[in-house]
Amino acid sequence: MTREPDLSEEAAEDLFEDAPCGHVSTRLDGTIVRVNRTFEELTGLARGELVEARRFQDLLSPGGRIYYETHYAPLLHMQESVRAVAVEIVRADGSRMPALINSTLRRGDAGRPGMVWTSVFDATDRRGYEDELLRARKREQEVGRRLQRSLLSGALPSADGFELDVVYRPAESGMEVGGDWFDAFWIDDGGTIALVVGDVVGHGIDAAATMGQVRSAVRALVSTGLTPAALLERLDEYAWRHEVAKMCTLIFAELSLRAGVLRFASAGHPPPLLAIPGQEPRFAWGGRSAPLDAYGFDGNRDEATESLPPGSTILLYTDGLVEQRSKPLDDGMERLRSTVGADGSDTVSVLLGRLIRGLPDQEHRDDVCVLGARLAPVN
Amino acid sequence: MDVLTRNNVVEHGSRDAQPMLFTHGFGCDQSMWRYVWPAFSKDHRVVLFDLVGFGNSDHSAWDPNQYASLEGYAEDVLEICRELDLTDVVFVGHSVSSMIGVLAAAAEPNRFGRLVLIGPSPRYIDDQDYVGGFTREDIDGLLESMESNYLGWSSTMAPVIMGNDDRPALSEELTNSFCRTDPEIAAHFARVTFLSDNREDLARVATPSLVLQCAHDAIAPEAVGAYVHDRLPNSSYVALNATGHCPNLSAPEETVASIKAFLSE
Repeated sequence: MTREPDLSEEAAEDLFEDAPCGHVSTRLDGTIVRVNRTFEELTGLARGELVEARRFQDLLSPGGRIYYETHYAPLLHMQESVRAVAVEIVRADGSRMPALINSTLRRGDAGRPGMVWTSVFDATDRRGYEDELLRARKREQEVGRRLQRSLLSGALPSADGFELDVVYRPAESGMEVGGDWFDAFWIDDGGTIALVVGDVVGHGIDAAATMGQVRSAVRALVSTGLTPAALLERLDEYAWRHEVAKMCTLIFAELSLRAGVLRFASAGHPPPLLAIPGQEPRFAWGGRSAPLDAYGFDGNRDEATESLPPGSTILLYTDGLVEQRSKPLDDGMERLRSTVGADGSDTVSVLLGRLIRGLPDQEHRDDVCVLGARLAPVN
Repeated sequence: MDVLTRNNVVEHGSRDAQPMLFTHGFGCDQSMWRYVWPAFSKDHRVVLFDLVGFGNSDHSAWDPNQYASLEGYAEDVLEICRELDLTDVVFVGHSVSSMIGVLAAAAEPNRFGRLVLIGPSPRYIDDQDYVGGFTREDIDGLLESMESNYLGWSSTMAPVIMGNDDRPALSEELTNSFCRTDPEIAAHFARVTFLSDNREDLARVATPSLVLQCAHDAIAPEAVGAYVHDRLPNSSYVALNATGHCPNLSAPEETVASIKAFLSE
């Protein structure tokens, strides 16, 4: 014969005292007025040490107390309840117990003061698991950064009198890696260098991986002797076929050191800046077409050619260099142009350093990549 | 970008009256003022807004470097004032935004008529003789605490939170909705707030100011409020009976009465 459960008042009292979670009742200022046995056990503090002796927030770790005052208490007043907030309760012996707390605010009426009921759940195991997840997320960000660094390292081509340098500044803060990349390498005949700067969509490991794919594809296509426009067309096909790099931008340029000819094609990328000795620097707006595998793009790529006298400087860069918060793009481009100036007395490395340092501090939100090349001056 | 959209500026009251600009502190959004602003909308032009990255501001405008110090937020306050052509502004700042007001008033003193600083602290971390109430380790503990409290922020909820979701019913069901913030932004703002040191800026402000100090304020203890009053040249000090750090929520009547008394001086 089964017995009916005991639902008497006495049993209700037992339920309160020995509930599978701690119960605390406080005044609105947090002063504890009632606790159950489970709460005493969880904290290691006896009723007499809690009731009218401590405020609930006094039991929290210092960091948790700030969180309580800046998030928990305001929420409680605005919503009259708060659910599942993680805190650490400092026990009598100084050890810390990760806990989840729920609270309900009972507004006072007719002269009765308000009360807050709080339930406290031991969350030690759960917190351990969450810490693991957080660590895994951080590790992923770190892997992305390392992958990016490995893709962007390696020696730049060099030749007598020819200057080539690159600066890369990742976006600051703990954000994931961005998608800016560059490449520079000899094209087979030894007198021409390929210069590439690109920006893949997205962040993190995916962006770093995409960057690696596009970079390899460009290197492979260059070896087949395609013109810059034809190379971009093949790259479109590659992007479409393999579903990578959609809407990525890049500029591909071939610089003939002997002839002083720059031949380039741009897939939706900011224009190169050319600084020819004795002239004001100018942007080369030719050879432009849509980003890679862009929607509704007809597939025909343009290219442009510029004749560059000895000592000319070419800058390829990503939009982080010229985009400013809430300002027209033109302003940033004008700033770039005036920073470069007509005076070519700085080395390329010094010039690039100046460009990066000249960025207003708030412009670190995006990656910035600048590649600078200068033809040997007349002897 | 439109400044008023960026900061989710909301106005109440008469456009011709003296403006009151309410600035929320670390943690939540402009709804922190819900029990306070209605008492001023009859005689003032009430302007509420969300700091970038919080509430219904444009989160895409958030930039860790633009907001690497409180000056970045003060610049936004000034941009809002310029956009709305506000002058003789009564700036009401809670918590860290008290210092945002101090910086804004130091930069453009002619713009501000009065400052009301609720629970101000120019530096939270102890420094030699100065007692801010916290150690660097405490602040690290706060950051950990924030990491484990996404307050309803997760990838599934993000579209709703960012307002890109067409399920309004779902938005209403979100728990902890007034204090939900992208964890990255929240942690960044926590660092900027609690590692700031604006003690030297207090002397730069001659605007008549009111320091409202609560009892048992764990964030800005009484000694810190007294310090602000002492260093802020043209300030008065009122010790509230309210306890905690948010009298605007826990004791709105007393808060309103103190501000009104100050404004009628």
